[in-house]
Amino acid sequence: MSNLLSVENLTMKFGGLIAIDDLSFDAKNNQITSIIGPNGAGKTTVFNCLTGFYKPTNGQMFLHKEDSKISLRKYTDFKIAYVAKVARTFQNIRLFPAMSVLENLLVAQHNELMVASGYSLFGLLNLKTYRDKEQLAVDKAKYWLDIIGLTHRADDNAGDLPYGDQRKLEIVRAMCIEPRLLCLDEPAAGLNPKESAELNKLLKFIKTEKQTGILLIEHDMSVVMGISDHVVVLNYGKKIFEGTADQTKNSKEVIEAYLGVDE
Amino acid sequence: MEKKDIIQSFKDSLFTGLIALALFGPIVGLRTASKGEGLFITPQWGVVFLLVGLCILGRFLINLNSARKTEITFFSKFSSKFSAITEDKAKHFAITAILFAVVFPFLPFTDRYFMDVAIMILTYIMLGWGLNIVVGLAGLLDLGYVAFYAVGAYSYALIATTFGWSFWICLPLAGVFAAFFGILLGFPVLRLRGDYLAIVTLGFGEIIRIILINWYEVTNGPDGITGIPRPSFFGLPFKRSPDEGETSFHLFFNLEYSTMHRIIFLYYLILVLALITNYFTLKIRKLPVGRAWEALREDEIACKSLGVNPTNTKLTAFAIGAMFGGFAGSFFATRQAFISPESFTFIESAIIVAIVVLGGMGSQTGVVLASIFLIGITEMFRDLEQYRMIAFGGAMVLIMVFKPKGILANRKPTILMHGDKK
Repeated sequence: MSNLLSVENLTMKFGGLIAIDDLSFDAKNNQITSIIGPNGAGKTTVFNCLTGFYKPTNGQMFLHKEDSKISLRKYTDFKIAYVAKVARTFQNIRLFPAMSVLENLLVAQHNELMVASGYSLFGLLNLKTYRDKEQLAVDKAKYWLDIIGLTHRADDNAGDLPYGDQRKLEIVRAMCIEPRLLCLDEPAAGLNPKESAELNKLLKFIKTEKQTGILLIEHDMSVVMGISDHVVVLNYGKKIFEGTADQTKNSKEVIEAYLGVDE
Repeated sequence: MEKKDIIQSFKDSLFTGLIALALFGPIVGLRTASKGEGLFITPQWGVVFLLVGLCILGRFLINLNSARKTEITFFSKFSSKFSAITEDKAKHFAITAILFAVVFPFLPFTDRYFMDVAIMILTYIMLGWGLNIVVGLAGLLDLGYVAFYAVGAYSYALIATTFGWSFWICLPLAGVFAAFFGILLGFPVLRLRGDYLAIVTLGFGEIIRIILINWYEVTNGPDGITGIPRPSFFGLPFKRSPDEGETSFHLFFNLEYSTMHRIIFLYYLILVLALITNYFTLKIRKLPVGRAWEALREDEIACKSLGVNPTNTKLTAFAIGAMFGGFAGSFFATRQAFISPESFTFIESAIIVAIVVLGGMGSQTGVVLASIFLIGITEMFRDLEQYRMIAFGGAMVLIMVFKPKGILANRKPTILMHGDKK
């Protein structure tokens, strides 16, 4: 299995606080790599560095293409999603609540549609080329809505959906940009066991059918242990363990980090 | 009702009376009159007591009404009537309104005064629609919109008086200049949101006004620009006696000369300009850029995570909003034939923002209703002189109390997957 992402000596300091300390790990194509660790371990900070919201103090992050690699440090802000094709979701859901479900998915296809609409010119003239492209975008949205079973609510406001559906919608919205790497920040937070199981199914589908690498931050161990191919454990910004789900479950360091050391 | 309730509402209304006394005492009670060599104060305590008494009585009645806890009160009836106006009904309303606006100049009761008020309302509707792009769709609170109105007006006035170009060439130029200023304002405020953005745009509006006052060589300072050319009807001027070799409008169509011709023409001009603004906004809202504006209003961070370029998106919103402000500005200049910085004070911006917010952010029909309501009511009470601003304030309070989200707050999705079911 080829490498998709390699993080090398990543360090992030906020003033005197070292949030991430010399972290290195790899994520592979078509695999789910989970980052776990107690609260405040620096997991979300890793995501924010990867997705251009923070500029790391030190270290490199590379995304591998067939035979070349691009440095994610070069891209900031919206270009991470636009050029590098790294998509993410957020710990506290960030949908566009007053817009419809379908519109949410169309905003994710903004850049292709913008070109198709001739930067609005063809769109204003209502040319057929644009209308066709828009129909394709709607079809793509429908494809994903069918998968998460929300097609019947396509015209409702995203903010009116139940919590679990909002989580799923945010994930498929990120998939609409056709990412090479999908970063999910606690997608199972607040889900009940049934919804967690559905989420597992969705993530497995994305991994196998869409050939997208997934990076996952999660506290829900039923999700982590059920679907992870690879687990990276952080504590106080440092990597304390790396291995398969089974190895992680039995690791002494990990248990100590979560439960404390016996006196 | 219990005795306790009555005593409670009586106390409450006495307190209301106290507030009313504090307000009306100095405002109404102490009237200055100039007699001979100086100013004297003429007290009018009778009027004050009448007003305070009315407030106490009114408050007491409202209290009694709400204490009875009946569902159908006068106010709830009023409010439910307003909520009955949904966006679907708004469509019928829009068609009726446009038809009415087209025949309005030829209705029997329409006189010069009505036409002037109608032109003013239409100007505000156009400004409201222009600002709606920035505030309603993109969610960028712009308190300096009048600056673009001013840029449009001055660019038209300066180009027309200096080069003598016709209105139809100057109009797009004014729009381009205003859009350019929109981008100029947009750049420094890209990182700002909410309150901070409002403060900077407010400052921008003032900067433009102060430049207009002080740049005497170009703008003629506080004296303003006079003799701005009037628009012509496709080359036919509205003049009683045209110059040598020219045919004026009334001669060409064999009509009796009337000043109303020009007024009616101006009316249709602003009507067409406003409708173009509306059509453009409705169209662009359904395009990717329009959806990106709304997405930016909803959540900027999520936009970035989806690869939407927030810089370009914001700048286009500022530029297009400003462009329509510029068009309205050049119309204003050609209608007045005289402009000065006095016409572009902060209060104008505030009125336009009020129209957009009270109409219901992002709602095109709401802007129309709010303009008619706010400008119309203020005009209706013109006989009350300075007190008409109370009517303006009252209209705002009424809308905020009964429709806190604006007159029409329903948003319709820009695209439907399942078609229109309702």
